[in-house]
Amino acid sequence: MFGRIGRVEQRPCWRRRVVTGFIVAVLAIQVGFALNGYRDPHKFFAFQPFNESSTWRADIVRVTWDGERLPVEGGWAGYDWNELVDTAALQHPWRTRHAYMGVGATIDFLDQALDWIAANTPDDLDTRFLEATVTSFENTRGPTVTVVRSAERSLS
Amino acid sequence: MDPAIGAVQRTSWDDVLDWSGSVRAVAVMRMAMGLITLLHLRPFLRDAAHGVSYTDHFWHPFIPWLPELSDRAWSALLWIGAAAAVLTTIGLWTRLATLTMFTVVAGNLLLSTTHFRHNRAFLVIVLGGLALLPTGRVLSIDAWRRRRTSGSARSDVVALWPLGLLRVQVCLVYLASGFSKLIDPDWVGGLVLWDRVVRYRHVLEPTPIPGWAVDLLVERPLYYAIGPAAVLTELFIGIGLLVHRTRLLAVWVAVVFHLLIEVTASIEIFSLAAIAALAIWVTPSTRDRVVRAGGDGASSAAVIMLVRAGDWFGRFRVERGGPAEPALLVVDRDGTMSTGGAAVGLVLSRFPLTFAAAAPMRFLTRRRASMTEEPT
Repeated sequence: MFGRIGRVEQRPCWRRRVVTGFIVAVLAIQVGFALNGYRDPHKFFAFQPFNESSTWRADIVRVTWDGERLPVEGGWAGYDWNELVDTAALQHPWRTRHAYMGVGATIDFLDQALDWIAANTPDDLDTRFLEATVTSFENTRGPTVTVVRSAERSLS
Repeated sequence: MDPAIGAVQRTSWDDVLDWSGSVRAVAVMRMAMGLITLLHLRPFLRDAAHGVSYTDHFWHPFIPWLPELSDRAWSALLWIGAAAAVLTTIGLWTRLATLTMFTVVAGNLLLSTTHFRHNRAFLVIVLGGLALLPTGRVLSIDAWRRRRTSGSARSDVVALWPLGLLRVQVCLVYLASGFSKLIDPDWVGGLVLWDRVVRYRHVLEPTPIPGWAVDLLVERPLYYAIGPAAVLTELFIGIGLLVHRTRLLAVWVAVVFHLLIEVTASIEIFSLAAIAALAIWVTPSTRDRVVRAGGDGASSAAVIMLVRAGDWFGRFRVERGGPAEPALLVVDRDGTMSTGGAAVGLVLSRFPLTFAAAAPMRFLTRRRASMTEEPT
């Protein structure tokens, strides 16, 4: 893999040690991330792209303080779901979508998004929490139904 | 110290640390990576220009203790990154520019988990390697300014341990991806690819692909072969690039692999970055082959111009031959001389723009020639 093509000055011993430590650390971190990908649904830095051909859809409702369950599709209190989440992976969840990040990562993101929306929609005074009922097919197998819910908002 | 003792004590790890060579090919990659980084930053810059910040939508910090950037600081960070990308491409204040570009792209990626994509992480790895190499020594305004002011150019031969590290990191990317699919029965059995093609049949139908071919492409049995072939391709690239004997073939397979990915599933800047990053596998030596352009003045001038225009990696030393010499004569590293079609094939197979087409042609031509030379 390597060959002596030219000549550069010999590096001092301490510098060689630093370089060795740096190379070992970088490769250890990369291998660590690669192994962590088998545990982490998002597979961050694990380089496992196109890992699934799964699909999902979600019925997302706002549960009001009166106990009503109102779908978020169509917007509410001046907010729009697609604008709030922005990321393509979570847009139009009421249609069956390709979970291009994998079902696990999509549901995890959806769970975090519900929390974020619950905490960042101050004009919405009616909602107590948001709830998503996710129906997913993992590589054509399923359906699997998962329910995720945002943190409860405070009545202000 | 007795030099013989020193020679005995050297380890292969010393060879890694003392590996040195030209950064010319990496400098070409540097120019490409500047432009690719601009493409990568474009959607973020568009948002920033419209006053939209990453915190205006759902986001989730990668590192909880990392401070949240203000809208203005995020916008400034992106514009600094874009400026660094331009400076990287033209090679002005190159070392600072490559380091800044890497910091901005990595920093932006680490701001929110919603920014994460595998292709962006790959870009970060390549930019990190680039930042560790003094690529401004060649093909840069820095090198041009130095030649003008001091009258001498700095050698483009540098310590290449960062290139060695980058090579291993890039191979790990292919191997990590390939191995994860190899142990997944749905992937290696072709289910994942087949299901994806079936779902995107509506995209195939309006294309010039004939109806019978679309019908064939959605046939499940086909993917019992395509699935493992795709996995083995990735694994072959990851291993083949590391092995000197298979490197050229692995580079060619990688080019075709990434072009196919681009055609079938355009993924941001991934194909561009992955193909540009193949420059790290170019042997880090320059002008170690000779091209002699003979014949009449006009034709030799044309050949010299074409070779200089296509030889981005500086593989050939170009000389003007006499009128009686062949129009093109190439002396390879080992002293082998070739003329005519063989010489054209060798030259074109070493040009980055013609490599993908010329390399297999040259392989087939040489194979045919060696078969006809064999005694019957």
